Amino acid sequence: MSTSTLSRPRPENLRTSLNRSNNNLSGWAFATPFLVFFLVFLVWPILYGFYMSLTGKSLTGANDSLIGFANYAEALADADMWHSLGNTLYFTVISTVPLVLVALVMAALLNVGLPAQWLWRLSYFAPYLLASTVVSLFFTWMYNPQLGLINEFLTGIGLPRVAWLNDPNVAMWAIVIATLWWTVGFNFLLYLAAMQNIPAQHYEAASLDGAGAWRQFFSITLPQLTPTTVMIVLLQILASLKIFDQVYQMTAGGPAGSTRPVVQYIFETGFTGYRLGYSAAISYIFFGLIVVVSVMQFVITRRRSA
Amino acid sequence: MKHFESLTGKQLSRRQLLAGSALVGGGLMAATLTGCGGAAQAAPVQDIDFWHLLSGGDGIKMQAMINAANQANPGFTVHPTVLAWGPPYYTKLAMASAGGRPPEVAIMHASRVPGYAPGGLIEPWDLDLLAENGVTAADFAPRIWEKSQQDGKVFSIALDSHPFIMFYNTDVAAKAGVLGSNGQLGEVSSPQEFKAMALEMQKVTKAHGLSFGYLGSGSQMWRLFYTLYKQHGADMELTPGQPMKVDRDAAVESLEFMASLFDDTIAAQAGDISTGIAEFARGSSGMLFSGVWELPTMKKAGIPVDAATIPTLYGTPASYADSHSFVLPRQLNHNEDKRRDVYKFVTDVLKGSLSWAEAGHIPGYQPVVQSQAYRDLTPQIHYANAADIIAYDPEAWFSGSGSDWQTYFAENVQNVLLGRDKAAAGWDAFEQRTNTLLSRPNPV
Amino acid sequence: MATATITRPAPQTTQARKSGFRQPRRKLTIGRIAAIVVAGFIAVLWLIPFAWATVTAFKSETDAAAPDVTWVPPSGFTPDAFVKVFQDGNIPLWTWNSLYTSAAITAITLVISALVAYALSRIDFKGKKVLMTVIIASIIIPPPVLIIPLFYQMLALNLVDTSWAIILPQVIHPAMVFVLKKFFDQIPRELEEAAVMDGASRLRIFTQIILPLSRPILAAVAIFVFIGAWNNFLWPFIATNDGGLLTLPVGLQTIKSAYGIQYAQNMASALLAALPLILVFLFFQRQIIKGVATTGLAGT
Repeated sequence: MSTSTLSRPRPENLRTSLNRSNNNLSGWAFATPFLVFFLVFLVWPILYGFYMSLTGKSLTGANDSLIGFANYAEALADADMWHSLGNTLYFTVISTVPLVLVALVMAALLNVGLPAQWLWRLSYFAPYLLASTVVSLFFTWMYNPQLGLINEFLTGIGLPRVAWLNDPNVAMWAIVIATLWWTVGFNFLLYLAAMQNIPAQHYEAASLDGAGAWRQFFSITLPQLTPTTVMIVLLQILASLKIFDQVYQMTAGGPAGSTRPVVQYIFETGFTGYRLGYSAAISYIFFGLIVVVSVMQFVITRRRSA
Repeated sequence: MKHFESLTGKQLSRRQLLAGSALVGGGLMAATLTGCGGAAQAAPVQDIDFWHLLSGGDGIKMQAMINAANQANPGFTVHPTVLAWGPPYYTKLAMASAGGRPPEVAIMHASRVPGYAPGGLIEPWDLDLLAENGVTAADFAPRIWEKSQQDGKVFSIALDSHPFIMFYNTDVAAKAGVLGSNGQLGEVSSPQEFKAMALEMQKVTKAHGLSFGYLGSGSQMWRLFYTLYKQHGADMELTPGQPMKVDRDAAVESLEFMASLFDDTIAAQAGDISTGIAEFARGSSGMLFSGVWELPTMKKAGIPVDAATIPTLYGTPASYADSHSFVLPRQLNHNEDKRRDVYKFVTDVLKGSLSWAEAGHIPGYQPVVQSQAYRDLTPQIHYANAADIIAYDPEAWFSGSGSDWQTYFAENVQNVLLGRDKAAAGWDAFEQRTNTLLSRPNPV
Repeated sequence: MATATITRPAPQTTQARKSGFRQPRRKLTIGRIAAIVVAGFIAVLWLIPFAWATVTAFKSETDAAAPDVTWVPPSGFTPDAFVKVFQDGNIPLWTWNSLYTSAAITAITLVISALVAYALSRIDFKGKKVLMTVIIASIIIPPPVLIIPLFYQMLALNLVDTSWAIILPQVIHPAMVFVLKKFFDQIPRELEEAAVMDGASRLRIFTQIILPLSRPILAAVAIFVFIGAWNNFLWPFIATNDGGLLTLPVGLQTIKSAYGIQYAQNMASALLAALPLILVFLFFQRQIIKGVATTGLAGT
């Protein structure tokens, strides 16, 4: 990740004409606008958030005192926190698999060379352009137990109705289905771009050897896509871990807390329950989880590129 | 990108934004908006933002009262914002108040005031200014006025009290022979008598005697539970830093009685609120335990309905209730003119709350309750006595209507009502949950 | 790790740019027909929610809530729901709020990110490595972790319930800085040398040489940032409560409670909210897809 790989050695005349102190000045001048925002709205909050997690700060301003790591101790013993963290992890696992596999299938189908490429891309990718609220309205309506299209279809083929968003055993899957519909188009585009960059010679050589389309996919396409797949999986995990919108909008975390993700628990302890300090502590526990995943990403990609 | 300049100046007014949005909305919009723009030039009218959480029939009544107040007062226009009942509403109200640019006035359940007043999220009412508008302490029932205070200051002005009551189908009751000589339901005073009466009604309807849906709704379970608990003459106290003070036997007995009702004969074993309401509304049961706010639904259903407070089964008359109250969220910048307009608006609505009574609620403002027009309202007058026996939630920063605490109640008690868990076990789990909350630092 | 994240898409997309999206032309075989059938099946599945929402939106409320689920309503199609939603006036207001906040976020992001990316790409200044490391590291900070301290900060700055509260915290995109820097790195330095000889200032080189050459990447970043801002729910939901300031995604969340259960109106509102970006997509499909593919792997 070193910078030297990114910046090539510059021509001598540039270096001489603009002297070093001039460079320092203009370098920081160009960086300043970004830096101001960066420091005020990212660095400061992340540091201050940690400080908050050591206090009893409340939305009403009460209990402003430092209480050490009491919030962390409380959080680690808080069954609701673990439950919501568990829900987030559960969602991440059961959403990442279809979000990657379906995207791969979609891209592979298109890569066969279907006519009217724009039409397929539009159908698969368009949902990604919707706001979460629109997706939630669509799916809440489709999941409606009595009037919904999905149950109508199920009863039509002789299956029983499903209480999609009201059944604790089903609700998370209902969220996953809506999420799959909503965001798979993004992964699909990444896969498609990667597939279309696989040099055609690879396939030509394979055809000469008599390999069929099926074998070409497994012996050429998939191996060539490995780096892309690793990146998509990791990005998807990081995205799924942040789940909040759809759940908050469709089930508000219910039924019986069965879909409440950790971000919603942060929101609720902080704003519904006023306990900003405590909820900052949970934020940091969650952040720790994200850092662990990111470090895994770092290790995996480094090993690959090494 | 041109529109970016509009950001740099002052905050845009709602109308400017609306006008601006015509650019986006295009031709279709233009027609609707020109009317709006024309009116804006007329006179400097104060815009009063008002939040409430009333939807359905209540929402329509509230809108009518707002319209009436707007018409009577050309000096200001009240703009309502409606948010979803329960946590979404109270969360946003707290965030807006903390932020200092909240609505000028909002509706809050009286039971939620202890979570807002001590932290300074709402401001006390100025009794002198209220009096100038013709409203004083004497205009409220003592229990309700007492509830409006925190630390000796008045933080909420009750629009109503809305107790949890019993609707009954007079046809079914007559056929079951349980009507008294006055045409109202005969008195029952013990759990056994109540069940016997319900079974008589069941014989008439062939379905159930009583409707009460509760699945997934902590509020609903709590309303009936707390009514029965308070009928034991028991108290409940929540003091942060101490375990909950409660009469465990009364609590367990109340839960056991509730669970015994859901035997699929007296009442359906499992159903949610709307299922219960629908069952009663189509005449498949004789009684419905419900909030007064369902009265319009019952009238619309066209069944012969009357109502009463829930029978006193354990000796002490009591009825769970809450009050929709007006509160003043904390403002960063006070505007004296707006403040006066808010007082005028609220007192106007109070004085016109007869229409609110039509929606089932018992008006908080006594001159309305004592008016002949109110006495003529049936069945409202048959449960108006509830105002004297109402029991509000025990006070704590986390209790009250639509609070998480009621959700915790559902989590621990639903299985008791479904017959999957012992009442004592369910109660103990809830008590422990409550004690955990009480042991945490009080954030207000 | 960031290099891997950042560098990976660049070579791919440069190739993609050269070749365009490759569309192999082969004969219709059984395999290809099967592919068309499967792809078509998925496409239909993917279009059903749109279709069902559209049909519902054009029903009367009575038909929409009828227990018989029908694609063709008994009392015919009607635009009533759309008319009601327009009369109510909230959707245009929210659209406007989304438009100007997203435009402001995109503009500020582009300006500050391009400036710092130029410095990181071209200027050899003291502390550059540290700066770069800090910005790389910040990519892993997930926005939900910041909601509590950011809200507290907005309280302290008295910005809660202002447009600024929506805009300001959304303009920092460290990943986009690196996407831009990568692109600037690929612009041949020879192009600047003549200007340097003429004594042109850094700012002039930046605005007159670098920026014009970077239009494609600037457009890609702008598209990515704009879509993100337009659809963002969590932060605007926290930063604003005032009905006059709500953005489309946040405002839509309130309609269920405000209107009760009015299925046709709910779907009409949702469709109207979806319309702007879908229209933009229809017109700029190629650029948007390229933009997403270019910036996508850099992370969000």
